[in-house]
Amino acid sequence: MKIIATFNIKGGVGKTSTAVNLAYLAARGGSRTLVWDLDPQGASSYYFRIKPKIKGGSKKLIEGKRELDEIIKGTDFDNLDLLPSDFSFRNLDLVLESKKKPTHQLDKLLKPLAQEYDFIFLDCPPSISLLSEAVFKAADILLSPVIPTTLSLRTLDQLKKFLKEENNKKIRIMPFFSMVDRRKKMHLEILETTPKQFPELLKSAIPYASDIERMGLERMPLGGFVKSGRSIQAYKDLWEEINRNL
Amino acid sequence: MTTPTLNFEFPGYLTANKFLSQLADKAILKPISEHYTLKSYYDSFDWRLYRGGIICELSRSQTVSILTLKNLHNGQLIASADLDSIPRFAKEFPSKNIRDALTPILEMRALLPLTTLECTLHHVNVLNKDEKTVLKLMIETFEFIPCRLQLIPVKGYDKAALRVIEALIRIGLVESNQPPLIDALKTQGRKPKDYTSKLNIKLDPNMRSDLAVKHIFSNLLKAIKINEQDTIAATDSEFLHDFRVAVRRTRAGLNQLKNVLPEAETSRFSHFFAWLGQITTPTRDLDVYLLDFDNYKKSVPPALREDLNPLYDFIDRKQKQAQKNLAKKLKSPDYIAPLIEWEEFLRSPAIKKPTQANSLLPIKSLADKRILKVFRRIIKDGQRITDQSPPGELHDLRKTCKKLRYLMEFFQNLYPKSEIKSLIKSLKHFQDILGEFQDLEVQEITLKKFSEEMMNEGVPADTFLAMGVLIQTIDKRRQQAREAFQEKFDAFDQPDIQDAFHSLFGR
Repeated sequence: MKIIATFNIKGGVGKTSTAVNLAYLAARGGSRTLVWDLDPQGASSYYFRIKPKIKGGSKKLIEGKRELDEIIKGTDFDNLDLLPSDFSFRNLDLVLESKKKPTHQLDKLLKPLAQEYDFIFLDCPPSISLLSEAVFKAADILLSPVIPTTLSLRTLDQLKKFLKEENNKKIRIMPFFSMVDRRKKMHLEILETTPKQFPELLKSAIPYASDIERMGLERMPLGGFVKSGRSIQAYKDLWEEINRNL
Repeated sequence: MTTPTLNFEFPGYLTANKFLSQLADKAILKPISEHYTLKSYYDSFDWRLYRGGIICELSRSQTVSILTLKNLHNGQLIASADLDSIPRFAKEFPSKNIRDALTPILEMRALLPLTTLECTLHHVNVLNKDEKTVLKLMIETFEFIPCRLQLIPVKGYDKAALRVIEALIRIGLVESNQPPLIDALKTQGRKPKDYTSKLNIKLDPNMRSDLAVKHIFSNLLKAIKINEQDTIAATDSEFLHDFRVAVRRTRAGLNQLKNVLPEAETSRFSHFFAWLGQITTPTRDLDVYLLDFDNYKKSVPPALREDLNPLYDFIDRKQKQAQKNLAKKLKSPDYIAPLIEWEEFLRSPAIKKPTQANSLLPIKSLADKRILKVFRRIIKDGQRITDQSPPGELHDLRKTCKKLRYLMEFFQNLYPKSEIKSLIKSLKHFQDILGEFQDLEVQEITLKKFSEEMMNEGVPADTFLAMGVLIQTIDKRRQQAREAFQEKFDAFDQPDIQDAFHSLFGR
């Protein structure tokens, strides 16, 4: 089982669409896949038409009173399940803090699922918090979408520094450019120069595209309503590149 | 991630369309697809898969061809794989899952088509208010048999599934895991497990012996005829095996149940079945070597195993030639004409005043007499065997044991089931060691003979070395079997077994 967290300190960079679309591709390729919607906004739950609600909320969940397996919902796609979000996830930090080793809690909850899934995608809320530290402990890969702007690159730098200070050797960071708009001069410039600065940057980039935005209307992964095109090809390339690097 | 599926059967009158329109009143339905499919079912001739609780189905549509193995009793999937056509033997399946599931059950038996059904598959999803799929339905419609419905739950939506199940039951569907195969066979006047090599002959204890014996022979003739064509075609090795068992039983019956049928016929047909036994022996012997070859390989050190391959090829060539000769003989008038005469003889009406001494005897009396007599002979002959006795005496004892075994099997329905079964079992236990001893001795001699023939074929020296080791291991096992004889015989020659035989067959 590989755990892939889509994470960025900033919001609105394409974390959820990355988690949802890559999970869809993984499942379609025959891998048993789970998306865990950790964001209280519940966007990935929404994309799969699944109610962002968990009986007992985050407290019972973290306390281990409800097995994750009981809460998991099947999506409309073969091999693809979702652990829905809940509005109480906004207080996840507080719940974690009340536990003994707060940053180990997610790892502990996910362990029993190792036999059931080949890939677990953690769709994380923005910001660095206790929850994100717990995510870093549990995940194998930190997949970080980055918009090609100077500010975004600064946050990527912050994240790298943070991980270094944490001395977390298990997790591998895989940043990639997201919401790339080729009409913008600055995007193109950054696309050109950044790889030297960040050797870990993936070569595949996700374009800024209207069909990705349409996911919110269709309420399904891109592959559910688009057969081919630039965007879906970009996700396929990204998924292949990640797999090559696993 | 996998949730168990539930299977339902439609009432005979209900069509898929009618059902869907009734269900649409109670749930939001979304038709997904409709395909035309051909479903073919497979099993070995002796129903090994069915007996082992497996249904083997090949579904072919325009775009896909899938083989599935399902549990006969609960309908759950055991294994599946994309597959265009079915290989004849389990070990030839490309998919490992399928191979692993089938090989231990089918062993050397060929997988044969049973029947094919035309089917239309409807996939329909049940949605909730958010248009999220909460349950998947698969409906199979057939021409002459009731529709089937498979309900595939979506994880986390049990309540929605329960609501639909309630609706299905109200519409008249019943939960059933019975595969369409059973109904399809019924329309052909067949049923599962309609072949077994085991005898189960119903006899009335007071029946005239000549009629009873003819009835037994008719049963055996049926087994000969049913295995005949696939013996000629060499579909798998066991058709010939079952054919030969029926031939041997017939011959044993003719020789053991004397003075029942007219003497001229008894003697003539006894000769015919002896000949039939003889002409089928070479092929069967070679089959046994080939079937056992993996064990041969395992019995020599790993470094020598591959050196035995030329021996396999040699036996395989000989087997093919022997099979060709056999097929020719089984298609010739030498076989066909006497077999027709035998059938006519068995069908001919009973003679009103037969001259044979035992003809009119109630069959139970004859059975008692014969079984006890052969049993006493086994004990007498067995007690005479010492460590110094020549192998021939053990071989003769083995033949006598086989006669007893056949007699007990012919007449088993005349006796309390558990008692005769337990006596057959103790006899079988003793018989096995005699069989092993003889088989190993024959193998030793034959392998030496093969090596002489192979000398002229330029076979590598390493092969002869490996065969030498093989013969040694066989010789060792033969000696072990010889040494085990006394112990096994003593276990059979016990007062309680003697008493059981006398009280069951001694009147």
